Amino acid sequence: MLIESFITTLISTLLSPWGLSLAALGALLGIILGALPGVSSTMALAILLPLSFSMDAHLAILFLLCVFVASVYGGSISAILINIPGTPGAIVTQLDGHPMAKAGKAREALTYALIASTVGGAFGLGLLVITAPLLANVAMSFRSPEFAAVAVFGLVLLAYASPGTTVRGLLVGAIGLICGMVGFDTLTDVPRFTFDTSALQGGIELVPLCVGLFGLGEVLKHLHASNQTAPAISMAATQRTRLKVRTLIKSWKSMLRGSLIGAFVGAIPAAGSAIAVAIAYAQEVRFSKHPEQFGQGAIEGVVAPEAANSSSIGGTLIPMMTLGVPGDAITAVLMGSLLIHGLRPGPMLFSENPEFVSSIYAGFLIALLLTLIIGILLMRWLPLILRIPSHILLIGIALLCVVGAYAIRNSMADVYIMLFFGALGYLLHLLSLPSAPLAFGLILGPLLEENLRRSLILGRGSWDIFLHSPIAMGLFALSAFAIALPLLAPLWVRLKSDIQRFKTPF
Amino acid sequence: MKKQLLIISSTVLLGLQCATPIFANDFPEKPINIVVPWPAGGAYDLAARLIAEHASDTFSVPLVVQNVTGAAGSTGVRHVANANADGYTIGVMGTHAIAQSYMNPNATSLDELTPLVFIGPEPAALAVSSETNIEDIATYLDTLKDTPGNIINGNDSPGGFSYIAASMLENQFDVELTKIPYQGYAPTVSALLSGEVMSALLPIPLLADQHAAGQLRLLGVAAQERHPFAPDVPTFKEQGYDFIAEDFFMLYLPEEVPEERREKLADMFYALLQDTSFQDAASKIGLVIQPKPFDETERYLEQRSDEVYDILATSGLVDGSLTR
Repeated sequence: MLIESFITTLISTLLSPWGLSLAALGALLGIILGALPGVSSTMALAILLPLSFSMDAHLAILFLLCVFVASVYGGSISAILINIPGTPGAIVTQLDGHPMAKAGKAREALTYALIASTVGGAFGLGLLVITAPLLANVAMSFRSPEFAAVAVFGLVLLAYASPGTTVRGLLVGAIGLICGMVGFDTLTDVPRFTFDTSALQGGIELVPLCVGLFGLGEVLKHLHASNQTAPAISMAATQRTRLKVRTLIKSWKSMLRGSLIGAFVGAIPAAGSAIAVAIAYAQEVRFSKHPEQFGQGAIEGVVAPEAANSSSIGGTLIPMMTLGVPGDAITAVLMGSLLIHGLRPGPMLFSENPEFVSSIYAGFLIALLLTLIIGILLMRWLPLILRIPSHILLIGIALLCVVGAYAIRNSMADVYIMLFFGALGYLLHLLSLPSAPLAFGLILGPLLEENLRRSLILGRGSWDIFLHSPIAMGLFALSAFAIALPLLAPLWVRLKSDIQRFKTPF
Repeated sequence: MKKQLLIISSTVLLGLQCATPIFANDFPEKPINIVVPWPAGGAYDLAARLIAEHASDTFSVPLVVQNVTGAAGSTGVRHVANANADGYTIGVMGTHAIAQSYMNPNATSLDELTPLVFIGPEPAALAVSSETNIEDIATYLDTLKDTPGNIINGNDSPGGFSYIAASMLENQFDVELTKIPYQGYAPTVSALLSGEVMSALLPIPLLADQHAAGQLRLLGVAAQERHPFAPDVPTFKEQGYDFIAEDFFMLYLPEEVPEERREKLADMFYALLQDTSFQDAASKIGLVIQPKPFDETERYLEQRSDEVYDILATSGLVDGSLTR
């Protein structure tokens, strides 16, 4: 019954010129807005939300889904081409995507990202359709102790994700954790590290930090090396359409792993795509046979986080649609648009309005297809960004950094924060420390602190509360295992050689 | 000479340009900003966007919703207070602005704001998790009387409305809850559904569907009347308890907006809020619209701020430099 109405809605939308052109417009705007640094998917949706008020409910949700899905891919365009994440979900795509672009393989990286994005999105959609009620139940059983355990697990994995030595990554990650404490304490509203200024009371947002660290910091880095022109990438290299299909097929495992992580992390309320991509990237590095290739343009480093990023869309829709609880800011905006149209996502939606549920599924599928088509059509023009002379590009990027940092909350404080982290990013570069763990620390720190402290209040001060949660204990065990693995590995090697020596007579 | 003339004439022109809006009678003549102190998608945001959407009937200019978020809503309030007092920047506020003005020395004082129009109350309901055996208010209160702190209540961090509502319940019935803070309403609802907390006092539109689906139980509505979204749930008053806990939506201006403009804005918004097509759309998303004209709004704010101050003072949350 659900499938029947799904197909009817799909066909009727595809056959209506108005609906299709609206969806195409949404996808186009989504890609462009997503690619603009500082314009997150949330912001792209919020900017375009008023346009949807006058549309029919199912057209409005189709339009917004197209913007959403396309902006998720759009975010990786600027990450790959100019090393600035267009959206927070693209923060790790640039780690390997940009080195690829520098090596003249921009087009390849973009194609991999687009295909991984489509595969991940389709995976997320499939999971949403099949297991929505089931997965929502699992995610709902996540309470504060489980969230604290997830954050611990994430931090452990991310220690491996940073290029260079683990200690350096942890050092920068710790700075990120401290940055996450700035502003109002989440549990008591007590201002911390605000130096009695109102500017810091709002805390340090992820976007201004990322824009400063990866955007402005990069500009400063280029200024520093101003005698060297920005890496010139010949159009010939980027225009080559010959795709290594075999390489792409070979990375199906990474895509699948990324999709799985994305969909599951996305389904946990409040986790969001930034955490999903960070974990996806970390485990790719962790389980890769060639971890040293990451950060140098490893295909897995582009494909896995991109798949995770897109499949987290389907994941975040699960708690929103089945429980009426938005998983993150983006679904909160989507939910707002549904409410404007008098549709209340939640437990009653499936039973009272199944046609609408299937029209959301159909809209999602159309959004994926249109993003793929428009993404391929636009790709010829995308590398043009790289042809802009570096001095103009740098000014443009710096300008976008300022505008983007301001636009996310309309606050000058965020611009100052962005400038500060721009300088810090440059400093870290001079000290040859990795800057990405700073952003990871900022994401996971508040998650850990809030949930750990809340668990302890719930347990009335006793740590026993973690013992009562099998999920949390399982995650802690995994974390301990992940920490112990590199320590155990040399031990195992030595043991083996000892055994060998023991066996061979002297 | 020519240069001087140019400077003088341009200065005069510039001066004229600045001066024109003050003398002009045709206010408003450019888009009006409505500043929402919370992120897009929340109840405040929905209310503001609904107003902006229906503004074309009464306003000759568009209304533009702007989200200025952070620091428990005080960033947005400060943004309005520091804006030009020309009537083109309007804010939406609720209980949070009152609470912040007493708790946070860096937040905007209520004296720096001029109330404009009261939009409506947002009544709360007392909800308990379906895992508890509590069926009515009497059992709920008895449980607390037997063992103080026995019920774990989910709420905002101190200063948020649902924290104040929980404190009001404690004061009213002389009981003690174990209050666990969450970042906003949606996580609180999740915690209630998962059984991490046992009860919560939250706006009704967030709870109505889950109540109907049997995922949680609404014990009573803390308002004068029942709520259209949950018509089967009686009020506290109907069950013999005198308890009202409401958040509210209100429009306000920075201080020192010319009186003429303030009156014009107040009249236009009041007319918009009474428009039937607006009220229909509002009731669909569960907003209660009970507009109050300017002078009543001012009185309401004073009364509410006294109430909130008392609650915060009882809980020891008023900042030392802000005591009355």
